[in-house]
Amino acid sequence: MSLRPPLLEGIGLTRTYTLGAVEVPALRGVDFALEAGEFVVLEGPSGSGKTTLLNLLGLLDSPDAGELRWEGRPLTTLDDDACADLRLELFGYVFQTYNLIAVLNATENVELPMLLRGIPARQRRSRSAALLAAVGLRDKIAIRPDLLSGGQRQRVAIARALANDAKVLLADEPTANLDRIAADEILDLLTALNRERGVACVVATHDPRVRVRARRVVALRDGLVEDGA
Amino acid sequence: MNVWLFALRNAGRNRRRSLLAGGIISFGFAALALSGGFMAQTFDALRDGTIRGGVGHLQFTNPDAADDAAGLEALRHGLADASRAVTALRGDSQVVEVLERTEFFGLLTDGEVAIPFAGVGVDPEAERRTMDAPRLVTSGRWLEEGDGRDAHEVVLGSGLAGALGVSPGEVVTMMAMSVDGVLNAIDAEVVGIATLPVREMDDRYLATSLGAADTVLLAHGAVSKLVVLIADPSRVEAEALRLHDRLEREGIQTAVRTWPVLAVFYRQVRQLYLGMFGFLGLVLLLIVLLATANTMLMVTTERTREIGTLRALGARRGRIQRYFLAEGVTIGGLGCMAGAILALVLREILNRAEILLPPPPGVAHPVPLFIRFYPTAYALGAAIMILAVVLATWIPARRASRRPIIDSLAHV
Repeated sequence: MSLRPPLLEGIGLTRTYTLGAVEVPALRGVDFALEAGEFVVLEGPSGSGKTTLLNLLGLLDSPDAGELRWEGRPLTTLDDDACADLRLELFGYVFQTYNLIAVLNATENVELPMLLRGIPARQRRSRSAALLAAVGLRDKIAIRPDLLSGGQRQRVAIARALANDAKVLLADEPTANLDRIAADEILDLLTALNRERGVACVVATHDPRVRVRARRVVALRDGLVEDGA
Repeated sequence: MNVWLFALRNAGRNRRRSLLAGGIISFGFAALALSGGFMAQTFDALRDGTIRGGVGHLQFTNPDAADDAAGLEALRHGLADASRAVTALRGDSQVVEVLERTEFFGLLTDGEVAIPFAGVGVDPEAERRTMDAPRLVTSGRWLEEGDGRDAHEVVLGSGLAGALGVSPGEVVTMMAMSVDGVLNAIDAEVVGIATLPVREMDDRYLATSLGAADTVLLAHGAVSKLVVLIADPSRVEAEALRLHDRLEREGIQTAVRTWPVLAVFYRQVRQLYLGMFGFLGLVLLLIVLLATANTMLMVTTERTREIGTLRALGARRGRIQRYFLAEGVTIGGLGCMAGAILALVLREILNRAEILLPPPPGVAHPVPLFIRFYPTAYALGAAIMILAVVLATWIPARRASRRPIIDSLAHV
């Protein structure tokens, strides 16, 4: 038994949303642990709490109750700026709708997290070129998102997520808007990055093709982890 | 990719909206720059009118007379050493002209009616060289110069002449209290009628020679004051001190006052205009504020998801606000540049159009419209426009940056 705490750990995570007068429990006391280099899939039907858990793990949202820890250190008491700094330093995000900045080309989109971190321009430029080459977009570095296909945009988003050497890559339905071939390419890329760079991946998905690539699957239903997951 | 390039690209995203906001800013800027230039020109004209209207740049008086604010007793404390002081001042390289003045009050009569007047005894030649009064004569002529410089002649304001019913060529009697408090009178020929810009002055104005004033006041060579014009008016305070010290070194005791202190009317008009300009600035600030606030509110709302993305990537709230402020300042800066070009073009067109304006305060005749290039107005206009844009941007940007990230990301 290892004495080292998990890389990222959620204990008793609870989150309820208020929709008008109705309170909707999205997570009801979920425990979750992620080890370095893991590839975990969060699966479950719509409304099961996958995205909510992903948001809480990535410090995009705060739990109503429960605790979040990074290598054993509590994260839930941090203020907004400290959370922003941790997002910049530790996490990379891949969204279902890519969320690239429309006025920036592929290189500039990848450079953005480095810019936020204050990395010098020369270093940003060479690193973004390397990352775009790694995701197979060596010839698209100066193209703006609106001229890229869905699969290419998601590759740019993955390169952007890795710009600051993220320890954990959080992907929310990364293949949902892609055709079969593009989806397979993205999954190949995520798998390779996980294997070769040791980036821990947490992927929330409906897609059964993602499941087969996971080392571990966490199934959620009605805001709880399903027994036997 | 720096913050300004990012801002410029975002401003270019919705060109029509940015152009509208920039257009409003440019018109606001041009309005401020042009009105500021017009105001500066009016101040200049009013200042010159005040100085050439008789105030001069500096006035030297007997130190005791300086406390007599109404000037009613000016000759009781006249400058007895006037000729020595005039010689000393004229010997100074920075002095352009020295004008002796005797100011007094009295009654003017044609034998039937007696009307109070405010008189001034002057050196006709020096007055003609440097002051406006000789040019205000609309009927007859100015006081005689040369050998006849001390002749018993008067130029009357048209109001005073009209009330007495006299015209050039007629003789009137000028009565005044002498320095010793005795009522004295002399006859003088009306040689000219002048039209003064201020009605109250026009109804009381009387100009005569220094000699005639000296005779009626029994002044024995004393004058009320010396009016001095200097070469560099921007150094009026320093020159006042220096010339005062120079006279003192020669044993002539005087008090000196500068034109900004003496020109009460100029100060009041200036304050009035500055108040109007300030109000105009405030109105333009509000118009630009509301117009750009609407634009920036739309911009931040449209880009809510992008804001969420930037926050998710690790941008602090302050940085998001700075991005939008930079965008607002970029639109504002470009608007100001366009406004400056617009102002310069309009200024050129208006200045060439030879438009005559009604006489401004203190001026007798219509003046051609001339808008000066006044850099301060351009700087102030830019500052007001940028301030408006910053205010208009900061509030929606702050609101957008404080929105929960997951709400921003879910925004459609």
